[in-house]
Amino acid sequence: MPEPVLKVEGVTVTFGGLVAVDSVSFQVAAGEIVGLIGPNGAGKTTLFNAVSGYYKPTRGRISFLGRDVTGRQPYALAAGGIGRTFQIVKPFAGLSVLENIVVASYLRHPRQAAARRKAWEVLKFIGLGDRADLPAAGLTLAGRKRLEIGKALALEPKLILLDEVVAGLNPTEADQTVRLILKIRDAGMTILIVEHIMRVIMKISTRIIVLNYGRMIAQGKPDEVARDRQVVEAYLGESADATDGSTS
Amino acid sequence: MRGRPAWLWILLVIAGVGLVPVVMTDAFFLRLFTEALMWIGLAITWDIMAGYIGYLNFGHGVFFGVGAYTTALFIVKAGVPFGPAVALGGVAAGLTALVIGWPTLRLRGAYFAIGTWALNRAVGQLALVLDITGGADGMRLPPFLRPQFFSWVMLGVVGATFLVLWLLLEQAPFGLKLKAIREDESGSLAIGLNPAWLKLQAFVLSAVPAGIIGGVYAYWITFIDPSSTLGDLITDQATVMAVFGGLGTLIGPVIGAILFFAFKTYFWAYLSDYQVLYLIILGLAIAATVLFLPDGFWGTITKRQEGRRALHKGLALKETTET
Repeated sequence: MPEPVLKVEGVTVTFGGLVAVDSVSFQVAAGEIVGLIGPNGAGKTTLFNAVSGYYKPTRGRISFLGRDVTGRQPYALAAGGIGRTFQIVKPFAGLSVLENIVVASYLRHPRQAAARRKAWEVLKFIGLGDRADLPAAGLTLAGRKRLEIGKALALEPKLILLDEVVAGLNPTEADQTVRLILKIRDAGMTILIVEHIMRVIMKISTRIIVLNYGRMIAQGKPDEVARDRQVVEAYLGESADATDGSTS
Repeated sequence: MRGRPAWLWILLVIAGVGLVPVVMTDAFFLRLFTEALMWIGLAITWDIMAGYIGYLNFGHGVFFGVGAYTTALFIVKAGVPFGPAVALGGVAAGLTALVIGWPTLRLRGAYFAIGTWALNRAVGQLALVLDITGGADGMRLPPFLRPQFFSWVMLGVVGATFLVLWLLLEQAPFGLKLKAIREDESGSLAIGLNPAWLKLQAFVLSAVPAGIIGGVYAYWITFIDPSSTLGDLITDQATVMAVFGGLGTLIGPVIGAILFFAFKTYFWAYLSDYQVLYLIILGLAIAATVLFLPDGFWGTITKRQEGRRALHKGLALKETTET
């Protein structure tokens, strides 16, 4: 069996007494799109931050392409091949759309001319080529979210972490972004995606991991997870039957 | 449009300015000319940290002072010639930046501002109490009274600094990386940038020319003491000039330095009875600029908003640490 791209083993992240992520383990194989879902506050973004180096796990181990990368700095992980986007989009607002991508391209293309060539390539890929010289702050939310993806792509990552890149978009924009995500997979990248929009996550994920209160409560194919009782309870609350059943 | 023509223009302007001391040989004029160049150098180097990264250095004058004292000590105590002594002044300033930047630049926010301010105070006190620096009496250097020579040396130093900064900040990837840190420091980590390391490089880059300028100043003026080279006024004036001219650009601080130096000269010439007023005006000028002209003179006329972005980050008006 080939080495998984990402291997998360018993990762726990605590803030003071609060356990945000509680011994979560899973693997992501090359070429997969793995969806990470769960109600608000389930620990999805915290887990993302741990995988991308923003938080150091309190316990547990994270391996990337067979190497232990637990506690590495985000810039070291970016250099290693992990790209990420942020739920609260973080474009470099005062820079132009092109400059945003160029500054990310320096990682693989330290020379100015090569970085600009790479940036244009990425801009066309994400469909923002016509807005290259606009200040990033002037983009719509959909544009800013695509720019975020573009910045991650410019790092030429092997694994890309997408944090709610569809949420908040209208249906047309959402479809465009979904097509973009599938294009990224077809380009050979492995994707771990957090998303609230079930229609999207169910459609594109090869596998889904469900978190609730920091714990992984289910994982499997989309249709399996959708039928999982614990998952339904996590989202809709326990059913009256279930409560009755447990007390009788 | 970019590339060769632009840097040829810069060299032409520097050469053109270099002709001024040939035509205008009046000693008083040359003194003003050299001092104006000196302030341009201090303002553009202050702007590296403040304008490009959004880190306010409240002790930039310490590099000027360290450069001045180092140069003076090597000339007076060791008989080192002017050229190498000035270079050593730049090295000393760079080392000082490393020592204070290493601990403070790994942190975000006000630590750097507080650290640099304290450093300037500490070094000023040190120069005041040490025997080797002459304490409050300062140091005298062997006089070399060639005003034209110093105007060219200062032009060479400041012109070279401008050219290097232009290449590094406006042409090379380095400048855009610094701006990315200014725009979003935690976001910059995700695209593979190491802000602590980049900030330290930029800090040393801002310190070395300031130290060299201090060294030239010492030999030019032939007398230095703690208040003239390590006082608050060096930092304060460079700050006002850069902010007024427009942060985050190279031209802005140059314009700010020229305008503010002209004002300062007129003020001292005609209103020297009201010296205390000068500091009040300095304070009001910086407050008014921050409030009403945050992009500075150059930023406002070119509609660039780099100045306000730098101030927002530098004054921590905008929280940028959430992930």
